[in-house]
Amino acid sequence: MLAASPTTLPLFLALSGCKGPAVLSGPPPVAPQTQTLLHAVTAELNLIWIYNKTMAEYSALGPALAPLLAEHEAHLARLRARVIEPPGKKTPSTATARPAIAATSAGALTRLREAEQAAVSAQLGRLAGASPSLAQLYASIATSEATHVTTLTSRISQGRPGS
Amino acid sequence: MKKPPRGPTAVSALQAALAAEHAAVYGYGVVGAMSTGATETLARADWLAHQEARDTLEAMLVKLGATPVAANPAYQLPFPVTGDASAVRLAAALEDGVTQAYLGLVAVTDRTLRSFGALAMQPPANRALVWRGTTVAFPGMPTTSTNA
Repeated sequence: MLAASPTTLPLFLALSGCKGPAVLSGPPPVAPQTQTLLHAVTAELNLIWIYNKTMAEYSALGPALAPLLAEHEAHLARLRARVIEPPGKKTPSTATARPAIAATSAGALTRLREAEQAAVSAQLGRLAGASPSLAQLYASIATSEATHVTTLTSRISQGRPGS
Repeated sequence: MKKPPRGPTAVSALQAALAAEHAAVYGYGVVGAMSTGATETLARADWLAHQEARDTLEAMLVKLGATPVAANPAYQLPFPVTGDASAVRLAAALEDGVTQAYLGLVAVTDRTLRSFGALAMQPPANRALVWRGTTVAFPGMPTTSTNA
């Protein structure tokens, strides 16, 4: 008497508000804090790509840019270490933005400085919804990038981009 | 039962930042006294910047109804300062300490204070860059000196 028949089961589901088996739905949405962290990873990958491309185009800039690149790689490693991959979502591993490199080394340094400045703003924009420790990581990385802006500005103003 | 608040409170984090600024003001007195020429000039400019930051923090604490922590009469220096080279090292160390204190403010939940702390890290980190001549990967973090 209690067994559900093919005709009563749909009626029961409709009345109970049950949506049926959940296994057919996709993975749960990625939490905003995780999404923000994944964006931060992508942003570092993009910066690293610009540094590598600039150093490949202008080898004379290598000694000046290598320490800054190394710090971005350290940022990336630290950010990646904080990621717990949500179901159906992989941690980004390639750059998503590959802008053209400027035609002169001075122009390339200016573009790098702009990219660093934009990165500072983006990191500061990630603070609000972050856990205290993640907010501190974003803030520290933003501060590091702010010192990169200072370093690049100094190099540009001294007029020795490739020396 | 009410859960205790996690992390530092706004007042305790501001007090820690103020204490670091007090230490920096004192420390720069030593840096200025033990340096000459351009180093002394730079030390004087940074000394004034820390006094300004100290005053800002004191005003913020008063606004929150707290009594700002007072400066100590004297501070133990991390190493002997005997001339230009050690004065420069002390200046960089002072800036690292202030940067770290402002990073503490980033751990509070108040959004305005969190942003204030993050922005306030930049001047001391940039001054440390000038004194040290190199950047670090994670300013304010305990691993700053190892650059990783």
